[in-house]
Amino acid sequence: MPNNVTSTSPARASGWLSISVAKGQQWLRRSGIGGQLFSLVIVMGIFAIGTKGKYLSWPNLQVILSLTAIPAIIAIGLHQVVVLGGIDLSVEGIVALCVVFVGFLAHNKFNSNDVGLWIVPITAGIGGLAGVINGLLNTKLKIPSFISTLGMSWVLWGLAVFVSKGQTTPLLDNPLSGFVNGYVLGIPDLALVAIVLFMAIQLIQDRTRFGRYLYAIGGDEVLASQAGVKVDRTKIIVFGIAGVFYGLSALFLAVRLDSAQAITGNNLLFPAVTAVAVGGVALTGGIGGAKNAALGALVITALNEGLILLNVNPYAQEAVNGVVLVTAVALTIDRKKLGFIK
Amino acid sequence: MTAKEPVLELRRITKSYPGVVALDGVDFTVYENEIVGLVGENGAGKSTLMKILIGLIRPDEGSYTLRRKLVALRDPASATRLGVGMVFQDGSLVPNLSIMENLFLCHELSFRKFGFLSKRAMQEAAYSILALVKVETDLDTPIADTTPEVRQMVEIARLLWLARLYNQRNPILILDEPTTVLTENERQTLFSILSEIKSQASIVLISHRLQEIVENSDRIVILKDGKNVTELEADRASIPDVEQMMVGRRFAADRYHEDEQVEPGDKTVLRVQNLSKRGVFEPIDFSVRRGEIVSLVGLVGSGKEAVCRCITGLEKPDSGSIALGGKKLAWGSPSETVRSGIGHIPIDRRSEGLALGMTVAENVNLLVLDRFKVAGLISPSREKRNAMHWIEECRIKSPSSWTMCANLSGGNQQKTVIAKWLSSQIEFLVLDHPTRGVDVGARDEIYRLIRKLTHDGIAMIIMCDTLEEDIGLCSRMLIMKDGRLVREISCPRFKKPSPSEIIGSIV
Amino acid sequence: MVEVKRDGPAKTKETTTVRRKRAGIPAIYFAVTLLLVLVFLFTMGNRNFLSAYNLNTIASYTAILLVVGLGQMNPILIGGIDLSVGGLMSFISVVFVVSLKTIGIWAFPLCIVVALMAGFINGNILTRIKIPSFIATLGTGGILTSLALIVSPLPVDAPPSTYALLEVVNGTLLGLPNLLLLTLAVFALFYVILRFTTVGRNIYYVGSNIRMSWMSGIDIVRTRNFAFVLSGLGAAIAAIMQSCSQYGGDPALGKVYILQSIAAVVVGGTALTGGTGGAINTVVGALILGVMENGMNVVGVDAYFQQSILGLVIIISVALTFDRSKTATIK
Repeated sequence: MPNNVTSTSPARASGWLSISVAKGQQWLRRSGIGGQLFSLVIVMGIFAIGTKGKYLSWPNLQVILSLTAIPAIIAIGLHQVVVLGGIDLSVEGIVALCVVFVGFLAHNKFNSNDVGLWIVPITAGIGGLAGVINGLLNTKLKIPSFISTLGMSWVLWGLAVFVSKGQTTPLLDNPLSGFVNGYVLGIPDLALVAIVLFMAIQLIQDRTRFGRYLYAIGGDEVLASQAGVKVDRTKIIVFGIAGVFYGLSALFLAVRLDSAQAITGNNLLFPAVTAVAVGGVALTGGIGGAKNAALGALVITALNEGLILLNVNPYAQEAVNGVVLVTAVALTIDRKKLGFIK
Repeated sequence: MTAKEPVLELRRITKSYPGVVALDGVDFTVYENEIVGLVGENGAGKSTLMKILIGLIRPDEGSYTLRRKLVALRDPASATRLGVGMVFQDGSLVPNLSIMENLFLCHELSFRKFGFLSKRAMQEAAYSILALVKVETDLDTPIADTTPEVRQMVEIARLLWLARLYNQRNPILILDEPTTVLTENERQTLFSILSEIKSQASIVLISHRLQEIVENSDRIVILKDGKNVTELEADRASIPDVEQMMVGRRFAADRYHEDEQVEPGDKTVLRVQNLSKRGVFEPIDFSVRRGEIVSLVGLVGSGKEAVCRCITGLEKPDSGSIALGGKKLAWGSPSETVRSGIGHIPIDRRSEGLALGMTVAENVNLLVLDRFKVAGLISPSREKRNAMHWIEECRIKSPSSWTMCANLSGGNQQKTVIAKWLSSQIEFLVLDHPTRGVDVGARDEIYRLIRKLTHDGIAMIIMCDTLEEDIGLCSRMLIMKDGRLVREISCPRFKKPSPSEIIGSIV
Repeated sequence: MVEVKRDGPAKTKETTTVRRKRAGIPAIYFAVTLLLVLVFLFTMGNRNFLSAYNLNTIASYTAILLVVGLGQMNPILIGGIDLSVGGLMSFISVVFVVSLKTIGIWAFPLCIVVALMAGFINGNILTRIKIPSFIATLGTGGILTSLALIVSPLPVDAPPSTYALLEVVNGTLLGLPNLLLLTLAVFALFYVILRFTTVGRNIYYVGSNIRMSWMSGIDIVRTRNFAFVLSGLGAAIAAIMQSCSQYGGDPALGKVYILQSIAAVVVGGTALTGGTGGAINTVVGALILGVMENGMNVVGVDAYFQQSILGLVIIISVALTFDRSKTATIK
């Protein structure tokens, strides 16, 4: 088999455009979001036709962006666990807990607490802590992530409802309110937050040692460990980051609703997992990055938005999402890795 | 000729496992700027020695001196830091990471700029190292998409780079069967690169291909049964000499219960015709008669394992047919072959032979549950009776029939696997290294069992750990090499050929 | 292709000895001990715990949980899981009540058949399309929940005209409540299948070592499909039982049962890795859960906090029963 000749020769002045196009194509091919971008275009096209263009109106696009923000942030947090080869099903529990804390600590109707902007690091911290516990359960107690995070979700959710006594706590004059509901140049602030977070995580994945370790573990944990990768530490950090992201989402959700209740987090898991799968992050691990997660969230939201606009039965929507999830996983899973699938 | 400096010296290395002495007082030296060929049969101790060399396991006795200093390695990472590294047969590169990422995995600190990894710095370093091993593939190619040759070179490059990083002069690279997965051209490239690398490193070459060893090494070390046999200068070695020393001339006859070897009956049990699999083995024909043990012998890459997998239904061949008792078998379906009466003692009993979490009785009865049915339901008493019968027959040492298989010794586990197949009245049995990892006592009992099977008329194909075992057990030997059946040797009772007569056709 | 698999890097520990299972005490003894301890604790907390009335309450609650748990046990035994039981129960619940009105007693067999089909589909998504069961059933569960809501967005009452049919579950036979008898029958069915039939035994072989089972000629496709069919059966019967007792169907019926069915199976000592455990374990597990739920109520623990405790109990049970020697890495 012949060796490929490398294509990274120094760029000549006149050829920079063609080279950047070639690089862009290479990037797309390697990262595998070509398929997702393609399906996004198709999906939007179908809905555009179905709604006679209304789908592509600027206000509707803003709605899509606005609705994508939070699932995107959650998906970006979640996908790294999937890249490791595990799964994080604790989204709803962590969000419930963080929301309840927001209701307790931010300026609210039921007590005199008002931590102002400190609520941001506090919520992130709580989420992160919960995430770290997930990581510890997985690495130190050696409990498979799907049960440990599932169990944690139930534990935290119950805790959240218990602590809040099931009440809804209205929030008052939240300093973040304007930000959360605001727009910059027509783009929802939260969408910008999602974009910034995605770029940050993508940067970490591309250009730090941590990113290498993440993919090494996902690729082959045993070999990675032998090469010297600190597997346990990396895993705990990944779960922790996921928790932080869930915490931030919880905060944004609560502020957006101007109230905090434990069930705010319900029904966040399914779309997030679907977004991650649709975006091209393989369940088997080692493949896919922040851009995949974010793009997947966009595709799912665009899809659901379109279904709403077309007045499709809301209950059927979950069915559609179910089909999409199963299909996406079927297409991205690396069967060679799994041997016998359970 | 100037006396070369020894870089690495192992002296009086001994390592034992329960029931077997892997290495017995072995000496091994590696000099500067040389290629050392290490040869020996399976079980001679090569891999144990190498594992000690790279710090994967620790010897029970003996000294390890590296560059004149005594060392005690804790783990492979410490070996790497001292400039000793190994390229394994299966490779240890992470498949989804790129060439460059694998090259520097876990050692990227030197490329950090303002907290982030500088891609340009990594690329420059990568180019210069890969130039040494003549790899020109795009650095960002995921390893999974590269050829085995490239992967090997990348591993060699990584070891060299790590040695440089840790300032170790004359690193020692151990290559385990590097040429198995290479084409002829690629092999030549490999060896030309190795002779260039020689100027700054030493290489230990492990291979069954004596031709390569003799042609490309400076020195050859031969191990047998865990002991040094000899070492010689390669330019003074001839392949037949090396072969002789590898397998030895003595041959223990009674170990394999040769007196119980049975003359094969007339009836042909298994008939393989024109069987082939593209890229693995070429059309092959043979048949096995009642009570006959046919031994399939060959090196890694000879194709013998694939032939057996086709017979047991684990793999689909590209052409040909396999007939049992005259009836043609369907492809690629273990249930078909099992139903027809072909049994399979797999090489890895723990992952392929038994349900370790279940009892001896449950494992033994797996294939024949239908026999115990009363009114459509399994009768526990009948089940137990059958299990007890076979436990006795096969002399499985187990506290009870409801002991979990995980709690049995390796030998008894293996006997349980055999009992499982015996219980189902097979006509043909494929045995894949049946005594691997089994202690001496159980080994003997397994040989006894095998002889008993032939008395009952069961025909067998067997692949053993050592040539000696193959010769001792079989009545006929088929030698495969590079995918072809090259020789057929008869091994009649009391007139067995010696290993040295045969080894030439194998390697 | 290559003769020896992972000869090199993978084996960093020289373990020639086999990893022994925990002190030879099977999980069942653990579970039974836990049950007895719990009963003791709750009785100390409130004397009324062991009253006939209370025991009856526990029994009714446990019965339905046990039935769906016995179903869930099968996918878990083969090493997978069925997260669609909740959706299936919800779906069957509304379909049952709605069809009672139209086709009367034929509603019973209809629902059973539908559930068997759902289980069969779950199985095939795993065996033919090769999607891991926890994702596949997450998806099908979502679909079934949607279908339930489409059939009836709100709980639907069974019309009085059908009450006679509901007596199948609500009535008594020879002085014993039908609910209990049905539960016993379901238990007997699953017990017999697992212990005395070939396909049931194959479930254990497949769960214990699927590769070996395949190589030994066991039809792993059929076995695993069957496991999921059994899960569907359990869910359906449980849903019917619940709908009868409540005189109505509820599209949100099944939600809690996902967690609880898994808990019942795992807490009783059946390992998530498959291959060990069984019907009796599930009985003990269901009893533990029933006792816990009831006990916590009787003692006064908040309902939502109970969910937390349940989650904790599951984590601990899995930690104790998971067979780590089966996988090189824990994901």
